[in-house]
Amino acid sequence: MTAQTPAAQAKPYIPGRARSEVVRKVLLYAIMLAVAAVFLVPFLYTIATAFKSIPDSVNVGLPHPWTTDAWHKVWTQYDFPTYIKNSFFLAAVVVSCNLFLSALGGYAFARLRFPGRELLFLLVLGTLMVPDQLRLIPIFVMIVHWGLFGSFWSYILINLVSAVNLFFMRQYFLTIPRDFEEAAKLDGAGYFKTFWRVMLPLALPATAALAILQFQGVWNDFFWPLILFGQGNPDHYTIQLGLAELRFTYTTLWPEIAAGSLIAIIPVLVIFLAFQRFFVSGVVSAGVKG
Amino acid sequence: MTKRLAMVLGLAGLAVVLVATSAQAGHKTHKVTNVTFAGWSSGPDEDALDQQMANAFNRTHKGIHVEWQVINGNYPEAMTARFAAHNAPDVFYVDSSVIGSWIKQGVIAPLNGLIKQTHFNTKAFYPKLLGAFKKGNKIYGFPKDWSPLATEINNSLFARAGLHKAPKTWAQLRSDAKTLQQHGVAHPICLSADWARMGAFMYQNGGSITSHLTSKANAKAVGFYVGLIKSGLAYTPPSGSWCGQELGQSHAAIIFEGNWLLPYMPSTYPGTHFSVAPMVHNKKQGNLAFTVSWSIAKSNPHKAAAWKVLSWLVGKQGEKIWMSKGLALSPRKDVASKGGRKPFLAAAPYARGWGFGNPNFANAYTVMGNDLNAVISGGKSIPAMLADVGKALKGQ
Amino acid sequence: MATTTATEAGPSRLRASMLGARFREAGWGYAFAFVPIAVFGLFFIYPLGYAVYISFLHWGILGKTAPGSGTFNYAKVIHDPVFHTALKNIGEYTVAVVPLEMAAGLGLALLINQKIRGRNFFRSAFYFPSIASSVAIAVIVLYLFSQGGLFNHASGFTTDWYGNARTVGWGIVGMNTWTTSGTVMLFYLAALQAIPDDVYEAAALDNTGAWRTFWKITFPLLRPAHFFCLVVFGIGALKLFDQPFIVAAGASGAPNYATMYPIIYIYNAAFGVSDFGIAAAAGVLYFILIFALTVVERLTVGRQQAA
Repeated sequence: MTAQTPAAQAKPYIPGRARSEVVRKVLLYAIMLAVAAVFLVPFLYTIATAFKSIPDSVNVGLPHPWTTDAWHKVWTQYDFPTYIKNSFFLAAVVVSCNLFLSALGGYAFARLRFPGRELLFLLVLGTLMVPDQLRLIPIFVMIVHWGLFGSFWSYILINLVSAVNLFFMRQYFLTIPRDFEEAAKLDGAGYFKTFWRVMLPLALPATAALAILQFQGVWNDFFWPLILFGQGNPDHYTIQLGLAELRFTYTTLWPEIAAGSLIAIIPVLVIFLAFQRFFVSGVVSAGVKG
Repeated sequence: MTKRLAMVLGLAGLAVVLVATSAQAGHKTHKVTNVTFAGWSSGPDEDALDQQMANAFNRTHKGIHVEWQVINGNYPEAMTARFAAHNAPDVFYVDSSVIGSWIKQGVIAPLNGLIKQTHFNTKAFYPKLLGAFKKGNKIYGFPKDWSPLATEINNSLFARAGLHKAPKTWAQLRSDAKTLQQHGVAHPICLSADWARMGAFMYQNGGSITSHLTSKANAKAVGFYVGLIKSGLAYTPPSGSWCGQELGQSHAAIIFEGNWLLPYMPSTYPGTHFSVAPMVHNKKQGNLAFTVSWSIAKSNPHKAAAWKVLSWLVGKQGEKIWMSKGLALSPRKDVASKGGRKPFLAAAPYARGWGFGNPNFANAYTVMGNDLNAVISGGKSIPAMLADVGKALKGQ
Repeated sequence: MATTTATEAGPSRLRASMLGARFREAGWGYAFAFVPIAVFGLFFIYPLGYAVYISFLHWGILGKTAPGSGTFNYAKVIHDPVFHTALKNIGEYTVAVVPLEMAAGLGLALLINQKIRGRNFFRSAFYFPSIASSVAIAVIVLYLFSQGGLFNHASGFTTDWYGNARTVGWGIVGMNTWTTSGTVMLFYLAALQAIPDDVYEAAALDNTGAWRTFWKITFPLLRPAHFFCLVVFGIGALKLFDQPFIVAAGASGAPNYATMYPIIYIYNAAFGVSDFGIAAAAGVLYFILIFALTVVERLTVGRQQAA
């Protein structure tokens, strides 16, 4: 599995190698297609299942007959439009607040000097070590005490800012040369204006990557919505809660469950395909920094 | 300056939208009191019926507006969360297996005061059923329906094997199953790995769940139940399925399920013909009564309105509507169950309320399920399981 | 005359204005950092203490249920065989899933790293399962692997993969390996692309075969990535909740505690048994375990990064 370089191609021709190269290439493509098939078949099969009728769903194989019944039911009877609306609402609010505050905080820790800055930053990093399972009970009790249980605000509140995002933005701001701030200062800009008009736009690649990852995180989140506002609160369900509901209640309504799961996947898929580059860079850098 | 203004206005607008959205859950503050009643739904039939009840009530009561809310998934867990937040629905289902725990936790309101105020007739209810929701002389809910277990058979599979009637005793159960096996049914009996089915067998052998759990009678009954599975005469339904589905798909010829099977079969498996017979028995008759009450939360701020709804739901009018679909049996002596339920009604004298008023039942039920699975797969002995469950029922 | 007074007054005024500027900068710094710090303090640090507090009390649905504090919750959890099973299960799960994920991710990365056409398509295909939600994946896999499902149909097996205690644990391992391998692949891809070509040229010049090149050269060079993945995905594995919850349709651990894992245990203690004291105690105990492992991470990865 050696990577070929232009230098290597300039090597003397060795007879017989060409054929082994072709064989190798064919084998490689075959393996990759096979793996891609294994990875994608479940989703393709789910798409097919979503078009089956209920009696037909016990049969393996393609729908016979094809029907959009499941989609119709999911849309009208099982309240999925509400769930989609809720998920989008949460994602929009959390992504905007979180990114804004993480960028603001990240900028402060990167560029502004204030006493105790290093200590506070260690605190921020320290929160990465507190796992969700430990926070579960106390946060639940706190949210209940404040009367926020069952309301979206509880989820928005605990997701107002995240350490990973703040850390990421700080690292990114550190790489921006100071000239920009100095120029802004010469123009008479205050601290917030410098941040808002100059630094934040410069950090667009970082915020874009984080926005996409944060959207995916909120959209796909099951645990915290369940705990904070999901249980017993059907009109507040996000799409993941709604899908889980469908599975728990109607264990064998496979066409409907399939349709629901596709609805749960499609928005993230669309964003992924459109912004692949940001996705990949975001995942890698966020991981490396974290 | 204008950009900043725009930003401020935008944020303000966003804030307004957020507040408005979150305020959607609030109650109307006209003279009409909003009351929510909620429960789980075993299927679209039950859901529609509850909605029908809501409509009927709203038509005849002008000062109260009721709304039906379905809470599916894990109902006890969902309700626990809502109790903790003091935001439970006004009137809601309580299964007899969890009422003990909820009473102990102090989340259910005792209804005696309201009963006295409105001169509600409690004598119309079958004492055993009402008793499942009492503690001492405090009433914590009224049963809305109930169902015991019965024996259901697949007519065509039975006919093919030359059998004409459902088995009545354990011995007949075994021999019928053997006959069916000889006529092509691989595993004729479908048995759930569930104490909520096996429990009936324990009582049929003279055992009990509330006392002497480790008795020989119980052990023998469990041995019989598990033995059927181990010998291949019976099988447990695969995940995602239940014995009703197995009967419908003609994989099983004999199952033990409750009244809920009766609306399920014609709507899901109309082509499968089945019959219902009274539950089998051994030394004694034994059965379990699955019953659900309507109850009110302790933290409810408008108990009078909620009681109006509750008393109507379990009153003669409400129960008449509820019985119309035959999802379960009537808890009232003065309201008849839907026709054709004789085998279920026959179990009334021997049916013990599932849950037995035990406050540790939820946890014990988890232990029951997991341990029974272990016994069936061979990883645990029957006495060990009985000991475990006994401890869990005591809250240890 | 004017210049001397100017130079005398100059430094102090300059110092004063510098102090003023510093003050303002610090003020703005605090202002910017205020909300993040407040959120972290409120929702991470404070809950830590609160959890410990609750863990010493009798705490039910509506708060304190009985007077008295002590270590009784910890005693109950430590002696609870179900908790032991949960720990055993998460141990087995982590030890199985992490190497599998890493091997799969590395394999995929090696494939993608080749000079092939359609690299974007393959990378998307391999990464796709990672972007779907845990719930969606779980229900899709449950359908595929149901007793009469596509997998059994195609392979000839008749096992109820997610319905019996022997196979459900492995089923969850498989599910998560599949969905996490894409993310692991991305990390290994970045690491592979950081390896300079000269290394491979040198190997080719020495006529080293493909396998030897990989094993003796590439694999060791990836050591930082190995450690990173081991730690990040190892700790991620310990947080397992969503998939067993969907498979078992709740936190019962069914069948036969095969889906009982520590976070499921905590959830069940809180919302199943309504004993928040036990749930908190279990949370604290599990946190101590994860903390110990995180310290190991900081020591090993930290040392690696220094090296």
